[in-house]
Amino acid sequence: MAAAPPILQLRNIVKSFGSLNAVDGVSLDIEEGELFTIVGPSGSGKTTLIRLLVGMDKPTAGDILLRGKRINDVPANKRPTCMVFQSLALFPHMSVGENVEYSAKCKGIGKKERRQRAAECLKLSHLPQSYYDKAVTQCSGGERQRVALARALAFNPEILFFDEPLSAIDYRLRKTLEKELKDIQRETGKTFVYITHSLEEAMVMSDRIGVMREGKLSQVGSPATIYTQPENRFVTEFMGEVNSLPVRLADDGKLHCETLDASFEPPAGMPPGFSRGVLIVRPENVAISDDAAPAGSENLIRGELFNEYLLGSRIQYQVRSGAMVFLIEELRADAVARLPGAEVTLSWQPGDSMVFPE
Amino acid sequence: MGTIDRLLTRRLLAAYIAVILVIMYVPMVIVGLASISKSRFFLFPMRRTSSKWYEMTWDSLQVHESFLTSLTIAVCVALISVILAFFGALAYARYDWRGRKLFQQVLLIPIFFPQAVLGLALQLWFNSIGIQMSWQSTVFAQLVWIVPIVTLVIAIQAYGYDSAVEEAAYDLGASRWQIFRTITLPLLGPGIFAGFLFAVLLSWGNFPLAYFTSGADVTVPEWLYGKMIGGYTPMVPAVGLITVVLGGIILAVGLTINGMLQRRD
Ligand SMILES: Nc1ncnc2c1ncn2[C@@H]1O[C@H](COP(=O)(O)OP(=O)(O)OP(=O)(O)O)[C@@H](O)[C@H]1O
Ligand SMILES: [Mg+2]
Repeated sequence: MAAAPPILQLRNIVKSFGSLNAVDGVSLDIEEGELFTIVGPSGSGKTTLIRLLVGMDKPTAGDILLRGKRINDVPANKRPTCMVFQSLALFPHMSVGENVEYSAKCKGIGKKERRQRAAECLKLSHLPQSYYDKAVTQCSGGERQRVALARALAFNPEILFFDEPLSAIDYRLRKTLEKELKDIQRETGKTFVYITHSLEEAMVMSDRIGVMREGKLSQVGSPATIYTQPENRFVTEFMGEVNSLPVRLADDGKLHCETLDASFEPPAGMPPGFSRGVLIVRPENVAISDDAAPAGSENLIRGELFNEYLLGSRIQYQVRSGAMVFLIEELRADAVARLPGAEVTLSWQPGDSMVFPE
Repeated sequence: MGTIDRLLTRRLLAAYIAVILVIMYVPMVIVGLASISKSRFFLFPMRRTSSKWYEMTWDSLQVHESFLTSLTIAVCVALISVILAFFGALAYARYDWRGRKLFQQVLLIPIFFPQAVLGLALQLWFNSIGIQMSWQSTVFAQLVWIVPIVTLVIAIQAYGYDSAVEEAAYDLGASRWQIFRTITLPLLGPGIFAGFLFAVLLSWGNFPLAYFTSGADVTVPEWLYGKMIGGYTPMVPAVGLITVVLGGIILAVGLTINGMLQRRD
């Protein structure tokens, strides 16, 4: 792949509110035509960052470069970027068509051309042309999403930003809209920067993901990298529920967990100089067995099954061992009928576990 | 049993509303009756009716002048207060600035201040800085009381919509002036209109502030008061009734226009 220059570069961006650094030294390159997702828990600074990028606020420090040009001081209405707000911010006193044509009207583009562009954008965002004259206040939640998208597309921005526009939409419609968004991004070849607090959403859509925590980017990478090689405990735990064991490196080279009074084989990728921290195993990497000592397994733990949940195609167990509760997940097709209270053995391959220093 | 209960409730409610209406409107009816009594003083039951008091009212120069004065004051007050209150409401509800909390509290004071005291205070103040009092000083005095009220009316409207719409417009390339014209003004429109109507009606019926600050100019409520004190004729209830009917017409026309504005959206 030819190394095209990044469309947007962030250099050490800081935004302070009083003594709080809501964005705290973010550096990042966003490539032309990619769908980049910023994920992070509530309050991690996602909205603050995106507002800096569209020009709604000014960074306290750092530089923003659009195609190599510093745009820190360019106001939002002069930037070729556009944002879909968390609240959508549709103009309630205008029809769908007037909303979509708003940017063109501000630019003084003629009625006929505006109308034609609006029709294209309605089509792109899967709205029937008959909606042109409909009042936005009469649209359903999903339709309003689409109007907001059409309005932003009509602006023809170089980068389109989204601030959790789907957070208030029910699960199934959200899935549909996520797919549509991804399709539109491919079709138009535009750069999309998407914010969400749901890693699942990020995984489905993104070319790359940046995980944000307390104003900093914790890790940036492809969905696969983030999933298989999380760089720290935060990213790992943010991915979903995991089993975390406090461990310490014992003299015999094994990881000792005091809570369970058990020792585990360390993974090959244990950071050098590790002495104490957490051992993390994903639920789907823990094998569950009725045998006391299943063949070819290491890292055995005995426990009592006390809960099971059906999650569609998968099944999840909770197993209590000493003072700890383990979460195990397996495919329903592989599952054996077990009763709560059953004695089971848990095990995992050392290569499937991760350790992070405290 | 349930239906009987419900029937009873409905009847009691109807009776209650009827009583309230009677209590509220009987005085108006009596004013109406008093204005058509042939004799100078109102005695019940009325012996003979006449429309002569209305004819005299129609011909009276004093009454004409007072209506003109009241109307001029009301229109001036409404126009000025809507303009001031529009920006006040934005400062009240929209923009975050140092001192906003204080502004929100100070703004309320003139509304709760007894109007007679406020009128007297303004009169003393006008005197001490040597201002010749006339209908213009009454406009000023009423503004002190009405601007805060209109500000609140418009501020409620400003709270009623998502402030992100202005940012969205800005992000879509609109200039400050375009945002003002195409977003802020239309969204605040109903509030501005309601505020205007409020201002006209409050000014039209206001007595204490005018009494203290209008100098030689006489507004309708002042004229009524003057006649009550000395020289009562049924012209007083006649003018009173005309005032109320005019106020009602202004209100009705206003509400109709407002309804039409809203339906257009
Ligand atoms: N205008 C402001 N003044 C003061 N503090 C602010 C302001 N805007 C944001 N903050 C603070 O900055 C931090 C980050 O807020 P931000 O809105 O960026 O979070 P977020 O990641 O978008 O969260 P969410 O997922 O809940 O939307 C929060 O602690 C917030 O309280
Ligand atoms: Mg946010």
